[in-house]
Amino acid sequence: MTNSIQIGHLLRAGTAGFVAGCSVSQLEAPALGALVRAPLDKDYCVYGLITDIHIDDDGLVRQLVTAGNISPEVMHDNRERRIVPVEMSVLAVGYEQGGKISHLLPPRPPLSLDVIYLCSDSELTHFTEAGHFGYFRHILQAKELPIGEVLAAHILDVKGKTKNESWVEAATRELITLLRDDYPMLMSVLGALGDIKA
Amino acid sequence: MALNFLQVFDKIKQIGMGARARQESLDVTREKARRLLEAWAGKGAELRDKVERARQADSNIRCARPLDERLDASTAEPLPVADKGQNPITLLAADGSQILPDRHAALQYSLVNVGAIAMLPGSGKSPEVFTDSSLLFADELYTETGMLSEEAIEQRRDIAERRKLLEMVPDYPAPVLTLTDGPVELWGAKNGGEGDYLKNLEIHKSVLSQLQAKNVTVAGYVDKPGADLVVRTLEIAQLSTDDEFKNIRKQHTLRGVTDRWLFSFLPASSRSAVFGLQSSSRVHYTGDLALHFFYMNVGYTKFAWLVRVEIPKWVAEDATKLNLLHAALLQQCRVMGARPYPYILHRAHEIAVVKFEEKKQVEQMLELELRRAGGEVEESSNKKSAKDLPGRTRTK
Repeated sequence: MTNSIQIGHLLRAGTAGFVAGCSVSQLEAPALGALVRAPLDKDYCVYGLITDIHIDDDGLVRQLVTAGNISPEVMHDNRERRIVPVEMSVLAVGYEQGGKISHLLPPRPPLSLDVIYLCSDSELTHFTEAGHFGYFRHILQAKELPIGEVLAAHILDVKGKTKNESWVEAATRELITLLRDDYPMLMSVLGALGDIKA
Repeated sequence: MALNFLQVFDKIKQIGMGARARQESLDVTREKARRLLEAWAGKGAELRDKVERARQADSNIRCARPLDERLDASTAEPLPVADKGQNPITLLAADGSQILPDRHAALQYSLVNVGAIAMLPGSGKSPEVFTDSSLLFADELYTETGMLSEEAIEQRRDIAERRKLLEMVPDYPAPVLTLTDGPVELWGAKNGGEGDYLKNLEIHKSVLSQLQAKNVTVAGYVDKPGADLVVRTLEIAQLSTDDEFKNIRKQHTLRGVTDRWLFSFLPASSRSAVFGLQSSSRVHYTGDLALHFFYMNVGYTKFAWLVRVEIPKWVAEDATKLNLLHAALLQQCRVMGARPYPYILHRAHEIAVVKFEEKKQVEQMLELELRRAGGEVEESSNKKSAKDLPGRTRTK
């Protein structure tokens, strides 16, 4: 569990997912489809995939954008000094207890202000290679999400960090199997995956 | 029903019926004021004499004292504050908010919160923000004469703002410009408590003098000013006999005209002449602390927006500081786009404001600590309790 990057703190949570917040200056690390973890105690941590990153506006920001030329000082001020949290929606995709990875939903969610870390390359490998893509079903069941885009971003992330081409091929085959009865979704997911390879 | 809309509606109709006549009357008065401004624009010395006669007749009179510039002078925008490669100026701003003691609440306390921000335009650096919170409890809520009044707490807030600015000055590169919202003058002593006011005034003047010693450009920014200082001077200009001066309080031939309208001729980004401030506080703010002001159009060509900027004499008489202030204010106002107001002042306000949730938190913390330590905590009044009851809710 080394080299993890802290990307924020938990704002609200349920067993199916949670929302983490960070300041704009911390925004460089997290990305759509990235695997994150929330360690609850020594032997238990919840894993999730970032499915959305959003930044709310406020009255001042709305007014500033009408002014045109925004100076670097004003930009820094709004990003670093004002309370404008970036919210990341995270879909729970599994957990680790006693060193064993499970792709089931976590038994209990993380708590308010728990630290959320971006998984390191070894943690990503550890989680994605455990079991047989069981966590994909959580993504495919989340109909409100841009499923194809999230899956493509996740697979691209794994490919980039683990350089494991065979995992990518196996993941694609698994998705085709899982979506064999849902042609429109399959086409959407394959379309997004096709963009990875292009 | 919370409001008798029938009565209000009748009154609104009456107001509407008189609107045209009032506007026509105001237009006539405004025209008169504009003509007077033109006529007296170059007669500064004569006007100063009249203002002095007015002051002798009524030392509390509040008006503008012309200096050497023409009354209708306008100064265009100076060069930018800091171009790339130049040393940037330092802008510091502070604003304050306060929680007043509430005798209906369970706990009697007061809080003065000051928010401050330091910005170096053109540096590309992130501004620095500060918050100073001062909680007043028990004996701290009392003076020799009784409980701290609302006015006394507001004076403490104003002094705390300027103290914070003074404290920040050594940490930043010169030239330094400090801004606060509202006049530089310390307001007070309207509801008694003159002793406290004078004590606070001495502190206030001491802070201003220390800022002057550090060569700081000090200014107070008054948005949408309602004053009629120059208009009042034009009213005084029409007086000649001793009787007229004796009855100066009744001489309001230009009533309804504001300085904001009078100076609406100022081109965008220009400022007016600098005037001295004649008011009851003139006896307190003497020498380099004497209060001055000018008007400025921070708006655009088609949408003028007049503000008043209050400055002490040491700024008013220094052309470099004046230009620095003029340019910096315009630069700050432009950040806010269509509703010009200095960005740095808005941020200071944003930092200073105590939100309702924060107030509740302070109260809970204080109550818990007192209970833990065996102190007495009263109940809030029944009146407050009833007022705080939640409104009607729906179950479906």
